[in-house]
Amino acid sequence: MKNETMKGLLTPGILARRTALAAAVLVAVMFVCSFIGSERISLKAVFYTAPDSTTVNPDHEIFVRVRLPRIILAAIVGAALACSGVTFQALLRNPLADPYILGISSGAALGATIAVLGGFDWTLWGRSPIAVFAFAGGLAAVWLVWSIGRMTGKFYITGLLLAGVVVNAFFSAIIMFLTSIAKSQQVHATIFWLMGNMVEEDFLVLWIGTGCIAGGITALFLISPQLNVLSLGEDDARSIGLNTTGIQTFAFTIAAFITAVAVSLSGLIGFVGLIVPHAIRLIFGPDHRQLFPLCAIIGAAFLVGADTVARTVVAPAQLPVGIVTAIVGGPFFLVLLIKYSRKVHWYK
Amino acid sequence: MSKWLWLLLMIMAWMGLGLTISNSQHKQIKGNQVSPNQISRIVSMAPNLTEILFALGLDNEIVGVTVSSDYPPTAKEKRKIGNFWQPNIEAIMATRPDLVITLGFDQQINLAHRLKRIGYTCLTVRIEKIKDLFEAIDAIGTAVGKQQKAHQLISDIRAKLDNLRALVGRDKTLKVLWVVQREPLRVAGRDTFINELIEIVGGVNAIGPTIHKYPPIGAEQVIACRPDVIIETSEQHQNPPAQLRQAMQYWGRFDNVPAVTNKRIYVIPADVVSRLGPRLSLGAETVARCLRPELFEK
Repeated sequence: MKNETMKGLLTPGILARRTALAAAVLVAVMFVCSFIGSERISLKAVFYTAPDSTTVNPDHEIFVRVRLPRIILAAIVGAALACSGVTFQALLRNPLADPYILGISSGAALGATIAVLGGFDWTLWGRSPIAVFAFAGGLAAVWLVWSIGRMTGKFYITGLLLAGVVVNAFFSAIIMFLTSIAKSQQVHATIFWLMGNMVEEDFLVLWIGTGCIAGGITALFLISPQLNVLSLGEDDARSIGLNTTGIQTFAFTIAAFITAVAVSLSGLIGFVGLIVPHAIRLIFGPDHRQLFPLCAIIGAAFLVGADTVARTVVAPAQLPVGIVTAIVGGPFFLVLLIKYSRKVHWYK
Repeated sequence: MSKWLWLLLMIMAWMGLGLTISNSQHKQIKGNQVSPNQISRIVSMAPNLTEILFALGLDNEIVGVTVSSDYPPTAKEKRKIGNFWQPNIEAIMATRPDLVITLGFDQQINLAHRLKRIGYTCLTVRIEKIKDLFEAIDAIGTAVGKQQKAHQLISDIRAKLDNLRALVGRDKTLKVLWVVQREPLRVAGRDTFINELIEIVGGVNAIGPTIHKYPPIGAEQVIACRPDVIIETSEQHQNPPAQLRQAMQYWGRFDNVPAVTNKRIYVIPADVVSRLGPRLSLGAETVARCLRPELFEK
């Protein structure tokens, strides 16, 4: 494989070829993973309906009602987290940034904890109170961090990061307080949610989620040339006439939005937003025009794979997928880091 | 600017399409509502539910149990469908159940919602106190068409508990500290069925009312509540004599607590006393033997 690390070499042809290759990988991963599971199902049994169709065909039902929705969910969540990670790393010019760095995780977790403790019993467009509160909490937290960060003035990136750290710590303390006065059974429900909770979702939920996340990723892709300029440094970007504040605000909003959608769909899944962008950047270079499409597709494939492991490795029980992404993702990332970091200098 | 307009239009069209498709799909509730007498494939989502089902004589109807369902011994041979906190919905569906019984915990209620959405019949019972156990047995009996057997089981358990009550008499002076976990120290509070168990066999919970069901307490409270008896539970994989030795060592530092001075520290198997199921009377008797060993010497 050729390594074109200079972005001048990225032509639409190369981009299209790489995207197509990545898409083929994603389709293959999704296809293989949909036939791996604690219950063995065969392709033939899934699409074959007995002439006397009075009895349900369990293979078909498991495939269509449980496994496929879950794989699609993993794919859209993985895509959202990976692209959001790319955006936060570019805007904060910090390789350690991940989608949760500005308080979304703790805000969402606080929302989810409140929803669990409140014991609400309603649904909003098919979403449980946990999902709704997590979405709202995540957005509220990132808005809070963003406003505090802007108030710190010229060096607001440091201000933002510090505000993120403090808000995360503060919200975590509130979560600890709430869980320590809660009934133990409720705490258990929250803990599993916090480690990433993939379940099969309704058609409409998946459809709307796909729309939000695909729309957000497309919007980020459309501003990727500006993000390329921004990653050189804010002063340089401004000197060539870029409306840096406008682009930053827009990118932050979109990235925060798709992260909040992902979190409300599946809880907190770590590492995807960190390792996928870095892996792609290390292999293909730091041009955002290709980072977004490739990260979206590879992020999707990665989370589908990780979720398949989570579904099957301790069968008949299941693991929260966040454990798998961390265990699989950590060492993989370290190997990539050692192998490629000497060739590429990203974000000096 | 037109690309943004296009993007917005595309997103709106996508959402509109989704709503249209989902509205046109008529929600089909599967017409396989089975009458109680025909239920032949039951999945149990908790060890105590499994025990109730076996006690109702449904040995052949049970097609799936949780990993920790280990009583009666034949339960171990049943197909496993995940554990209590992380149920495997695919495994549940593969057993083709016509009834799935869950407990009233958040995680399990959630599972029941998911299964109902796909079209399975679920029964959720909340078993937190002894009264709930009887109601749950009744509800399960009704759902599977075994009312008579359920009533028999209930009156059987009641009778055994009454016998125990009669045996220990009305004297309720022994203060019991029921230790759930040693480090950090957590004990059973007043709002638990363990508290009921202690009171049935003539004890009183050493810990007063608390906000937690199983409150974490400090050394100060241990000394202040002056328990006459300390009871710890041991999981099956643990070694009770070894745990008793450790317990003696741990509690040894509270040397002015009556339970320690009189060496009244007991370790009892967890499964009979922490599962609220048909073996309740056995659990109560185990506790009674700790509190009033003299009554059982004959």
